Amino acid sequence: MGKQRGGSGRGRDRSGGSGGSGSSGDAGSPGGRDSGGDRNFRPGAWLEGTGPENDIAICTRVRLARNLQGFAFAPSLDDTESERLYSFITERLAKPGLPEHLSIHDLEPIEELERSMLVERHLISRELASSERHTGVAVDDNESVAIMINEEDHLRIQVFGSGLQPEQIWARMERLDDLLMQRLPMAWSEEFGFLTSCPTNTGTGLRLSVMLHLPGLVWSEEIDKATNVAQKISLAVRGLYGEGSRALGDFYQVSNQITLGRNESQIQGDVMLAVGRIVQWEREVREALLRGAARVRTLDRVHRALGTLERAQILTSEEALGCLSALRFGIHTQLVEGFSIDAVNQALLLSQPAHLQRYTHQTLQPEERDQRRAQLLRELLGCSP
Amino acid sequence: MQYCTACQKAIATIVVMDLSEGSVTGSQHVCAECAEQLGVTPPKTTKFAAEMLEDLLGGLKPERRDTPRTECCPGCGLAPSEFRSKGRLGCPRCYDAFRHELMPLLQRIHESQTHTGRLPSTMAETPPDTELADLSELRQKLEDAVRGERYEEAAQLRDDLRRAELGESSEREDN
Repeated sequence: MGKQRGGSGRGRDRSGGSGGSGSSGDAGSPGGRDSGGDRNFRPGAWLEGTGPENDIAICTRVRLARNLQGFAFAPSLDDTESERLYSFITERLAKPGLPEHLSIHDLEPIEELERSMLVERHLISRELASSERHTGVAVDDNESVAIMINEEDHLRIQVFGSGLQPEQIWARMERLDDLLMQRLPMAWSEEFGFLTSCPTNTGTGLRLSVMLHLPGLVWSEEIDKATNVAQKISLAVRGLYGEGSRALGDFYQVSNQITLGRNESQIQGDVMLAVGRIVQWEREVREALLRGAARVRTLDRVHRALGTLERAQILTSEEALGCLSALRFGIHTQLVEGFSIDAVNQALLLSQPAHLQRYTHQTLQPEERDQRRAQLLRELLGCSP
Repeated sequence: MQYCTACQKAIATIVVMDLSEGSVTGSQHVCAECAEQLGVTPPKTTKFAAEMLEDLLGGLKPERRDTPRTECCPGCGLAPSEFRSKGRLGCPRCYDAFRHELMPLLQRIHESQTHTGRLPSTMAETPPDTELADLSELRQKLEDAVRGERYEEAAQLRDDLRRAELGESSEREDN
């Protein structure tokens, strides 16, 4: 539409600052205790908006489940053993020599809101955030590596990267895993591979996930057929936001379920086979949505979402995700101009409840949150109030 | 994501529903901590994998009659009943202790019972038995071809595999 956003157009300006503020900070809390810095409100590596196919593939994540010999699995540990395990792991992780500079964050003393922020930043799981055990997370400077300590397994090692880059992410993970195995005695057997608390992770302990933004498939009602492609080869498809099977904001996560009997490269092959087809499919339906009679309906949908973001005074998290999804689609298909993907990504992060409250330095009731969210999104996207 | 209606701080993970004569008369979203204070015991886990496991384990129960009674794990003391109800192992030694029940479970979850991926480097260097490795590689290729719906390739691989298996078994008979 070519309309220039008012003032300095924060939505656009922020694209230049991407990464800079994220990497310059010291190893402060990723959860945002040093709230003076901008970095806690910048998306981490997974939401950078860069990398191959980033218009559709938001992020690639590799996770390994590992346990130590000589300890029961985390859920069976008593308090004393749990403490001993926590100290043992954190001591070994703190030693220099790892390829990543890790900062270890003890989750025990930090408040609920900080933990929720770590969940929203995808660094820790909800289970870890609500665990009664002594837990922690080791995070690198740009939040591309996060090692959960004392989750369901002693270690849940995660490496993230923006866009679709499974080979690069796996290469980083393999190197990190090798080095961790040198300093921590992992539990494994030749027959079962890496031994995990839950038999659904036994073997490689590997979960490869790709987060996909699929508004085209959702709008053209092809999404179920597309996700079937993945499910047919035993992959799991879940919504990225929200609970249960609902995929808010058209964000999906495709990951392997089988971890035993297929090696790491076969698992990667399985996931990429499905993801490749789904990405291709999304491109095709996007083209169809921009052609002929469909185009005006698509334009209408995108501009209605934009209108809501520009004018609404109350926005629930769900509605915000829907509108940001449409705006993201509109930017990538050049239906709207004057907005940056960077601003949309930041809006996706900051409109989450914990970030919203930390950003506004307030504990907010749900209604207040919705009001504050509407205001914040206008600011981030450079819309006049 | 919704915040706990009781403390307003934590993320609500539990929905408490009031039931009256079979219909829902009210509901409240609360966090685990507040649920405990309200005297509501949170469900063991809400993970999909866990539900799946329980289903699978439930399906295993009838088979137990013919099988020897499993003892508690000598490593962590986990009882067989606990393993069955939770679907989780207690320690690395449980893999041996519950092997009998674990094998069909792994088969159902992963369609396999044996690891083929990476291991700590000391083991990874051990060269595998060539002939057996060839066979399993063929089987893997066949499986991949079927998954990839490359049926012509799959048919060829099936024939190769059959030949290889015959060769192997006749050799074994000779021995």
